[in-house]
Amino acid sequence: METSFSHLDGLEQFWDGATEGKLTLRKCDDCDKLYFYPRQLCPMCGSASTQWVVTSGRGSVYAHSIVRRSRRLAATAIIELEEGPRIPTALVNCDVHQVQIGDTVEVSFQQKKDALPSLAFTTTAAQEARAYSETAQTSSTSIPGIEPGDHTADYTQAAVIGAGRMGAGISTALLLADIPVILIDQDPDALNGAREGIISLLEVSVSKGKLTEQQASQCLANLNTDTQMQAISGADLVIEAVYEQMGLKKTIFAEMDKFAPKGATLATNTSTLDIDEIAAVTDRPGSVIGLHFFSPAHVMKLLEVVRGRETKGETIARAMKLGTRIRKVPVLVGVCYGFVGNRLLLAREKQAGKLLLEGALPDQVDRVLREFGLPMGTFELQDMAGGIELDYRSRQESGEKDFVIDELFAKGRLGQKTGKGYYSYEANSRKPRLDNEAISVFEAASAHYGIQRREISDQEIQDRLILLMVNEAAKLIEEGIVVRPSDIDVVWQFGYGWPNWKGGPVYWADRFGLSEIHARLSRLELACGDEFTPAALLSRLAVEGGTLGSATPGNST
Amino acid sequence: MLGDSTSSYIVGAFEHPTRRADGVSTARLHAEVAQGALADCGLSLDDVDGYFCGSDAPGHGPLLIAEYIGLRNLKYIDSTETGGSSYLLHVEHAVQAIAQGRCNVALITMADRPIAGNAGHSIAGVDFSASPDLPFMPPVPFAPVYGYAMVAKRHMHEFGTTSEQLAWVKVAASHHAQHNENARLRQVVDVEDVLNSPMVADPLHRLDCCVVTDGGGAIVIARKEIAESLNRPRVRVAGTGSALHHNNGGWFDPLTSAGVASGRTAFEEAGVTPRDIRYASIYDSFTITVLIQLEDLGFCDKGTGGRFVADGNLISGVGRMPINTDGGGLCNNHPGNKGGMTKLLEAVRQCRGEAHPEVQVKNHDWVLAHGTGGIMPGAHAAGTVILAAG
Ligand SMILES: NC(=O)c1ccc[n+]([C@@H]2O[C@H](COP(=O)([O-])OP(=O)(O)OC[C@H]3O[C@@H](n4cnc5c(N)ncnc54)[C@H](O)[C@@H]3O)[C@@H](O)[C@H]2O)c1
Repeated sequence: METSFSHLDGLEQFWDGATEGKLTLRKCDDCDKLYFYPRQLCPMCGSASTQWVVTSGRGSVYAHSIVRRSRRLAATAIIELEEGPRIPTALVNCDVHQVQIGDTVEVSFQQKKDALPSLAFTTTAAQEARAYSETAQTSSTSIPGIEPGDHTADYTQAAVIGAGRMGAGISTALLLADIPVILIDQDPDALNGAREGIISLLEVSVSKGKLTEQQASQCLANLNTDTQMQAISGADLVIEAVYEQMGLKKTIFAEMDKFAPKGATLATNTSTLDIDEIAAVTDRPGSVIGLHFFSPAHVMKLLEVVRGRETKGETIARAMKLGTRIRKVPVLVGVCYGFVGNRLLLAREKQAGKLLLEGALPDQVDRVLREFGLPMGTFELQDMAGGIELDYRSRQESGEKDFVIDELFAKGRLGQKTGKGYYSYEANSRKPRLDNEAISVFEAASAHYGIQRREISDQEIQDRLILLMVNEAAKLIEEGIVVRPSDIDVVWQFGYGWPNWKGGPVYWADRFGLSEIHARLSRLELACGDEFTPAALLSRLAVEGGTLGSATPGNST
Repeated sequence: MLGDSTSSYIVGAFEHPTRRADGVSTARLHAEVAQGALADCGLSLDDVDGYFCGSDAPGHGPLLIAEYIGLRNLKYIDSTETGGSSYLLHVEHAVQAIAQGRCNVALITMADRPIAGNAGHSIAGVDFSASPDLPFMPPVPFAPVYGYAMVAKRHMHEFGTTSEQLAWVKVAASHHAQHNENARLRQVVDVEDVLNSPMVADPLHRLDCCVVTDGGGAIVIARKEIAESLNRPRVRVAGTGSALHHNNGGWFDPLTSAGVASGRTAFEEAGVTPRDIRYASIYDSFTITVLIQLEDLGFCDKGTGGRFVADGNLISGVGRMPINTDGGGLCNNHPGNKGGMTKLLEAVRQCRGEAHPEVQVKNHDWVLAHGTGGIMPGAHAAGTVILAAG
């Protein structure tokens, strides 16, 4: 069989340029015009007298149409090059839903393994956002007042408490960075399950060629398990990942404090609990820190490093260094409910729940979020991550009720794992489908709360979900939870898939315009309630001008 | 027996009633439409000495299907393939062959079954895998609808054309289709229905797109003397034209089709102007296709197509320029994703005065059929045929 390289056809120059990201075209000496496709004879006059010319690769959108049936967000487009010719092609890695005729674009060859690159373009706006994103990520690891240096000690032996989903994933991430792990659980079955899980993850990596057999067996040799807390006595890093219960975490931390050697870092993977309260049960609150991994922990890039009130600079420096070593993107955050990522997510989920009661259906809400540029809608995400069950269980102690979630739970609709949740799923399919049972739950919920269902516009949905996140981001900045505003964008890119071509909630808001956002939030506050009350920082910036991105954290006035 | 190229007549025409051909082979469909068109004019398979088909004919060009249909006396064959416009080009070529004395009775068949054959939007028999454009194609699916969607988007941008105006093309087709008992979609729709149908490729909605159907049709063209011996209303092929458009190295106007050139040639040969045409079959793969072609053929000025098609102007008995009175590809039939044959068939019915009484135009001395095969913008071929009654 011929490879696609048989198409080279005298066009090596074109494809060499393409591999370097350059658009090289031919120019006809007789017509004195650049032409596309770069064929050997001029398509206008047939002349063989041509030369190769490297174009600027820039142009503008002449016309475009979003490709709907593709998994990949893209638009077909006719691009008019600066040099004149028009090229039927596609726009990729950019905000295709916002693209307008006339927007400036640049060539963006899609490199492929063992094949010729594919010609495509991306918008200048997306390129700028990507440049911002790169800078934001690089700067997120530098912490004012804390020198990241070679003198910061690496961890040599880790212990992970709790061999559940997170414990196993965290252990894998550590092992893959050659950090020996002692995995501890009271339940021997959990330990066996975790070990098997880790083995199969390593096997998958080997079969994909990401890991050699030898590396995999070295990882396994570095893994020990135990049911006793005493086993942590040789660890300089202990990460707790037991059930999300304050009482239990306090007990475990007291034991960790007791058995871990002096100087060891005591970390918790809690998603929602107050780390200062946990640290208070130890005699070394300066060495207590949050290491908030995201599920699946061996895959997800984001690591929120949560600084408690007492956490010492050295502990932070070591934790940040660890994050980089285990190939995560570590972002330092402060203590608050949900930290940075989940705080925005939970606010959005709660609001999405209200939209369901008022008359929206999950597919509309999810479509609006996807069209905004997020990889998944909020309801499909919850179905995938088991959000219905998590939410249901988290309310059982307090007895708080939520009609929709309680009903879905009662009907065995826990998400993808039971084949239905907000949506239903056919066997072996992840494609969400609305079904009548779920719709009748939403309608019954509206009746239960006495809410008249109505048609809700896409714009209202977008405003109520996205502007709410922006408002929450502004609060995080004014509360000083983040070191710098762009860290919020880094969190949302690496933890929740906010596309780098759209920067993040902070970057997006600054480009959208803060006074407009403030005005819309104020209207929503009147219509929907005080969850939309604009953050003080937003109110100030809306009047004075300035951007969220350049605001000083911990300073709302 | 030589004649000039305007002394051939369309004597037989037949549209297969099926829109979904389960359990019937494509070859059989070709044979059935051949028999249907010959029966329409009273000629026999043995009279046929010229045969024309596109790549939908199963087998190798005309080689195998000729035997299947039962054509034994062929002196002239042609398997020009230009997508949906192929059959309009076949008419042009048949007329020339007859004028040159190469044949006397030409048969053109078209049939395919993408629905029953589960082929979707493909064009049967065409292999795009070695297309010279392929290495430069983008890393996303680039279905034909996107090409037309971009033309529509740009037309809106430059001329203020609206989705409502485009929707009128579908509304007109549906008004006609209600009278056609074989039409795939017979329900009358309004502008709102079109705008409320799901978006397929912005700005084109599902109802801006033609139907996908199985089926086909056939045409018989004969020399004047033979036509005069037959007991059917006369339909003279008064003018033909064809033209090809490609990207021209990137220096092309996506809002102008090859119809400008094919139309000019056909009008010149027929000696008439667009003002003389009282009925037109206009290729309608999408609503925007109609608008561009009406402009390019000179029924209205470039940029004014939106206003021209709006408010029922294309509805027979209502507007000034009735088109596609069978319901067109938008509502009646678009067999094998190729609409050129069905365009010819309704033009022949109108020219004979045999269209459905509810849609028959009064003055049918001059009618036109026009098609575009391939994709706008980009590589496509247009064919125009002008017919004269009597
Ligand atoms: N699941 C997620 O997506 C996610 C994401 C980030 C953080 N977290 C946090 O990670 C922690 C663990 O979550 P999970 O999903 O892995 O839970 P899990 O239920 O899968 O695992 C908890 C494990 O802790 C063990 N355990 C309980 N009590 C123990 C004790 N006294 N001593 C030793 N082991 C004990 C259990 O046997 C179980 O194996 C929670 O704090 C959770 O909030 C979870």
